[in-house]
Amino acid sequence: MSKNKQLALVIDLNVCVGCHACVTSCKEWNTSGSAGPLTDLNAYGASPSGTFFNRVQTFEAGTFPNTQTVHFPKSCLHCEEPPCVPVCPTGASYKRKEDGIVLVDYDKCIGCSYCSWACPYGARELDQERQVMTKCTLCVDRIYSETLPESEKKPACVLACPTSARIFGDVHDPESAASKAIEERGGYALMPEWETQPANHYLPRSIMETIDAARNDK
Amino acid sequence: MRPQFSIIFFTTLAGMAQGLLFFIALSNLYSQTTPNAFLTNLALPVAFVLLSLGLLASFFHLGHPERAWRAAMMWRTSWLSREVIVLPALMIATAAVFLYALNGKVPQWLWLVLLFTTLALWVCTAKIYQCIRFIQEWSHPSTITNFILLGMASGWILLELLIAVWGDAAVQMIDAPLSIIAFLLLFLAFNLKLWIWRRNRDLRPKSNLSTATGIKGSNIRQTSMGLMGGSFNTREFFHHQTDRVIANLRKIILLCTYVIPMILMAYSITTPSIVMIFLALLINYLGLLAERWMFFAEANHPQNLYYQRVS
Repeated sequence: MSKNKQLALVIDLNVCVGCHACVTSCKEWNTSGSAGPLTDLNAYGASPSGTFFNRVQTFEAGTFPNTQTVHFPKSCLHCEEPPCVPVCPTGASYKRKEDGIVLVDYDKCIGCSYCSWACPYGARELDQERQVMTKCTLCVDRIYSETLPESEKKPACVLACPTSARIFGDVHDPESAASKAIEERGGYALMPEWETQPANHYLPRSIMETIDAARNDK
Repeated sequence: MRPQFSIIFFTTLAGMAQGLLFFIALSNLYSQTTPNAFLTNLALPVAFVLLSLGLLASFFHLGHPERAWRAAMMWRTSWLSREVIVLPALMIATAAVFLYALNGKVPQWLWLVLLFTTLALWVCTAKIYQCIRFIQEWSHPSTITNFILLGMASGWILLELLIAVWGDAAVQMIDAPLSIIAFLLLFLAFNLKLWIWRRNRDLRPKSNLSTATGIKGSNIRQTSMGLMGGSFNTREFFHHQTDRVIANLRKIILLCTYVIPMILMAYSITTPSIVMIFLALLINYLGLLAERWMFFAEANHPQNLYYQRVS
């Protein structure tokens, strides 16, 4: 790991309740900025379609009666070895040296979609109206804002989460809350088999161990 | 993956032109065999038109075609960028051969340049797909071999057709051996395709819901992808066809791309005829369109793990 800063999110699957507040707050902030709207097509029709940086999905595991439901927020993981960056033919897709955020320069993007093919997580979405590739920016315009109060210089999704399931910080700084959460609570990366080294981590549901222990005691 | 017609037309048209130019360059490196008039009046213009059509088709792939020039910037890391440079380079090399052929003898080094550029374009085009390590159907040397073999086969049949159309009695004499080589190229490509399909069928995906979500527990299944109306993720990475369409298309691919042209070529070994060669080329090209469509359709992207159930 380099000593450079690597901003990221750590998502606590123990407490995510699947309310989608992070999805709507992300959309609200990022569709309103100077970078242009996240287009919605046919928003009030039978088959609406729109650009989102963040989704909350739901999974089940186990067999009845030992089942669990897991709400699973998913956005760009800001990989330390992002496979989407070297494939970009124009250099529109890049990873910032100073803080590790993976961004798209909308003015250089030709809309060829190649970077989205090269992302195993499906984190990128081509905006149907603007015809450029879009993705989570970690709210780069919030966290470095000169007008927002210090308490609000965080990604919109983090501020919106009612259960504090999203921890934002520098995962290269061992003293940050994000690093400590990963260290102490077994934070893991998605699809480690492709060696993309995602900066975002997920905290496993330790509550299942408690539940299983209680079941075994009976 | 969703098959993209812009890329299907680009790779098949350019592939055919590359095959044609490759064999012209190769035969002239060996000995100055092709008459200059054949090159300037027929073969090179045909190759140039095919490459131009391919280039035109590729523009339809872009959301912002007016910024296409930017795509030449990242040649150090991106195979797509390299392709964007090599395609015009091949067109320039073709034009240079044309100009030299008009004014006399084409120098040996130029044939070498042409040969090298046709190969380089195949490498760039195939590597675009082959370098995506987590699309396991593509991430294998068979991808590049398949692009080259099919381009050579269609280009060779086109060369044979052009020679037949040129109508020089001395040139027509060689139609039978040409048909034998066309048959062999198709036969090789046919076996490679069968091998690729067998490999794809036996592939074990490295990613699954367990690695994709990290959820500890057995029997993981999705109950909601988090959206109901579809998104880029549900459009771009699925082929949206039924298993039946796919199965039928596979038969069409085997018949049109390989088997029927092989039969026609075998026939023209004994009785060369322009009609047979033309039919072989036409049917082979239609088959190639389906083959390239299937190349995309049969690629399974790991992101699809996250988009299995609407709710």
